[in-house]
Amino acid sequence: MDRPASRPWVAFAWAVLAVAVVVALTPYLWIVLASFKNRVDLFASIPKWTFTPTLANYPAVFIGKDYWPLAINSLVISTSSTALCIAIGAPAAYVFARMDFPGKEDLFFFFLTTRMAPPISIAVPLFLFFTALGLIDTIYAVVIAHTSFNLSLVVWMMRGFFADIPREIDEAAVMDGRSRLGAFLFIVVPLAAPGLAATAVLCFILSWNEFLYAFILVAFEGRPLTVGIPGLVTPHGTLWGQVAAVAIVATLPIVVFTFIVQRQLVRGLTFGAVKG
Amino acid sequence: MDIVFEGISKVFPDGTAALHGLDLAFETGEFIVLLGPSGSGKTTACRVLAGLENPTGGRILVGGRDITALPPRLRGIGMVFQNYALYSHKTVFENIAYPLRVRKIPRAEIERSVKAMADLLQIGRYLNRKPGQLSGGQAQRVAVARALVWQPDICLMDEPLSNLDALLRLHMRTELKRLHRELRKTFVFVTHDQEEAMTLATRVAVLRDGELVQFDTPQTVYRKPASRFVAEFMGRPAMNTFDGAVAGGNFRAAGFDLPVTGLPDGPITLGIRPEQIELVDASAADAVVFEVDVVDHVEPDMLIFARRGASGLIVRTPNGTRGPEHGALLHLRFPSGAMHAFDAKTGQRL
Amino acid sequence: MTASTRGTLLLDRGVGPLLVLPATLLVVVFLVGPFYYMMYTALTDLSFADASRNGNFVGLDNFRKLMRDDPLFWDSFLLTLRFVVLAVSIEFVLGFALAFLIFRFVARQRLLTTLLLIPMMIAPVAVGLIWRLLLQGDFGMVTYYMRKVGLLSQNAAVLSSPDLVFPAIVAIDVWQWTPFVTLVMLAGLMSLPRSPIEAAMMDGAGPVRVFLDVMLPLLKPIIALVLLLRGIDAFKEFDKVFIMTGGGPGTLTELVSIYAYRVNFRNWDLGYGAAVAFMVYLVVLILCSIFYKAIYWSANRPAPLGGHG
Repeated sequence: MDRPASRPWVAFAWAVLAVAVVVALTPYLWIVLASFKNRVDLFASIPKWTFTPTLANYPAVFIGKDYWPLAINSLVISTSSTALCIAIGAPAAYVFARMDFPGKEDLFFFFLTTRMAPPISIAVPLFLFFTALGLIDTIYAVVIAHTSFNLSLVVWMMRGFFADIPREIDEAAVMDGRSRLGAFLFIVVPLAAPGLAATAVLCFILSWNEFLYAFILVAFEGRPLTVGIPGLVTPHGTLWGQVAAVAIVATLPIVVFTFIVQRQLVRGLTFGAVKG
Repeated sequence: MDIVFEGISKVFPDGTAALHGLDLAFETGEFIVLLGPSGSGKTTACRVLAGLENPTGGRILVGGRDITALPPRLRGIGMVFQNYALYSHKTVFENIAYPLRVRKIPRAEIERSVKAMADLLQIGRYLNRKPGQLSGGQAQRVAVARALVWQPDICLMDEPLSNLDALLRLHMRTELKRLHRELRKTFVFVTHDQEEAMTLATRVAVLRDGELVQFDTPQTVYRKPASRFVAEFMGRPAMNTFDGAVAGGNFRAAGFDLPVTGLPDGPITLGIRPEQIELVDASAADAVVFEVDVVDHVEPDMLIFARRGASGLIVRTPNGTRGPEHGALLHLRFPSGAMHAFDAKTGQRL
Repeated sequence: MTASTRGTLLLDRGVGPLLVLPATLLVVVFLVGPFYYMMYTALTDLSFADASRNGNFVGLDNFRKLMRDDPLFWDSFLLTLRFVVLAVSIEFVLGFALAFLIFRFVARQRLLTTLLLIPMMIAPVAVGLIWRLLLQGDFGMVTYYMRKVGLLSQNAAVLSSPDLVFPAIVAIDVWQWTPFVTLVMLAGLMSLPRSPIEAAMMDGAGPVRVFLDVMLPLLKPIIALVLLLRGIDAFKEFDKVFIMTGGGPGTLTELVSIYAYRVNFRNWDLGYGAAVAFMVYLVVLILCSIFYKAIYWSANRPAPLGGHG
């Protein structure tokens, strides 16, 4: 495969890839531009690629319409559900990677099915359940829901990362006098730190991006950004500059994170089946 | 000269240079062994001939035709890979048939050729199995059959035996020799195992750091190594070498002196193979005395590791009833005909 | 035996279940419990819109209605299947082609793949909004260029046009998820063993045959994986389409999740809604168990090199 390809083929390949990148990025780029446009530029019937940028949309929506608490809610929900997921899921993943017990693989598959369950099927009973508990319309309901559905991802992804660490390492730690739990916490976890970090970031992204659970479980108090955005869209007279501003705040952290965890992403998104 | 490497260089994209202007020429029907330690460029040389790597300089000629720019499939060369590289999703039959299918050979003829080749390699019974169900030795035979079934003029083998266990390796070695005799093709065989090179080759090309250091029959390479490197690489245990200096017909190494003839004064490296050192009586006049350190019994021989001052050597001698004890004195004679002299700096044979 | 070693042993013996327990408990309480509750609800007439229907047991009535008397459900079900088949197959062909081009022609892939990733990483809600803005009838950027090249008539808008709205949601799913296929297939191509490919080249195969005879069979498990994962996700699609069209115009883009949402949270017909939701779950569960088999197939397939090397 080391033979150099012929010139026209290289040119063709790069042309196709360039088109792909442009198609992939232009829509996002457009909404970035839109967030810096005033009403006149935004509603111009001929698309404006150059214009005098304005910063007005951001304060208008985040302060004027009081959207900043939604950003805080998003942050609180994603951070706390990620922390819970890791704290609960990583030890379970370790057990799946290292120990054998009857029904282990079935339990493991069971975790997967919980992940694959369509949110719409779970949302209704969850809605009734949280209503009964008095947690409906609170941030806790969303945190719990996100933690439960992301848990399987942590279990599946971290099992692979733990399995990559040679068993002999924990066995040596146990021989050196540590308990099994000690070996896990002080020897294995530090070794799995990169994988743990990637898993956490992916959890954060998925929680941050999640819409349906949050949409059904919280109507006003504790709304994250994803639930708040559609409220800005009305059949007539939508202030697209403000929508764009919220969309940018709701997506930019994720874009940054994507650059950080790109290498581990394939593994996470295929539940550890493909190593990127 | 039918197959020619003409000043072949290879620098990989990461900057490592595997070959520095390799010149090598041999004839059809030979069994050529490319021998060298890892990193010597032997595998790269083989892959350049195969067309799997593009040389960064030089030309490859086969029968006078420049094939440097040809893709592998048009070169008429078969290849056996170190890890067999069988198609795991195809049966053994389909694995062997693949080169013929690609060439759109009629079905009946494919059937016949595959059967014949399978019989020759004694794998006729496994034709319906998948590679995953074969032992290492069987997989190896399938790989050889696949490389030869379409009658290529040249067959390359990149360390084909290194994944087999010792006994099987010995057996396959004889098989390959028989195959070469019967098919009369050119075999190019890459290995780091000097014993394989000694037994298989019509000629051995010894490579080191991307350069050819010696190209000759195995006997010559063994008996007249072109350099200290070749001397130490060929033969197990390795040739004993002593750094020292000659002054007036006397060679002085660290710990002992040795009378020599016909060598100029100055620093020099002397070498002698372990099996050519003679054990003599304590009364012998020209004996050099060493002290026994460890004795290994490698039936039917024994290896005596002995020391004298800063010098150490190994003697290989038929096993007596009882080896010498640790600390015993060993009286040795170095026959002058068995001595090899190498330049102290360049290592070249003098 | 000292006290501390006995403690260690006890901990060792109990630690396995102890560590899996919280995770299992959480999932059971908040995912499995609700699932069984949903199954139960599906057997009742519970509705928040009708005070007389307060959860009386009605047996399989809801499922009977679903199977026989609900063309809207079947419309949305078939629409979803069409959506899944179209979107996933286009994504697969495009994504695999891009992955192959990157594999073959690009040496430093990091930046390129990261850029391609952006559509699939941003929130689906944001994707829906972005495209709603781009396809807006009066000032949408894409609308403008589509009209300019004659793909769209002067007064039409994509998302309100009965002919264009379904192709549009498929196209947008393709836009968002093709990178996923590219990324996974690229990982698959990069992990292919070199030697069978080189062996095929030595055996005389040209590039096309090497691809068809050697690479494709070796990639089979990954292809199965990618198709199933995308299939499951596409079947559950809700966010983007809900934001862009809300299922409309009419019910032209009412995918089955949106239909389930409407029955549950617009009509508040929870008993019947649970039956709908259960059907969605069932399909996903079937796809999911195939996925699981595919994973084990790819994990336990014989070594690509063959032999016992």
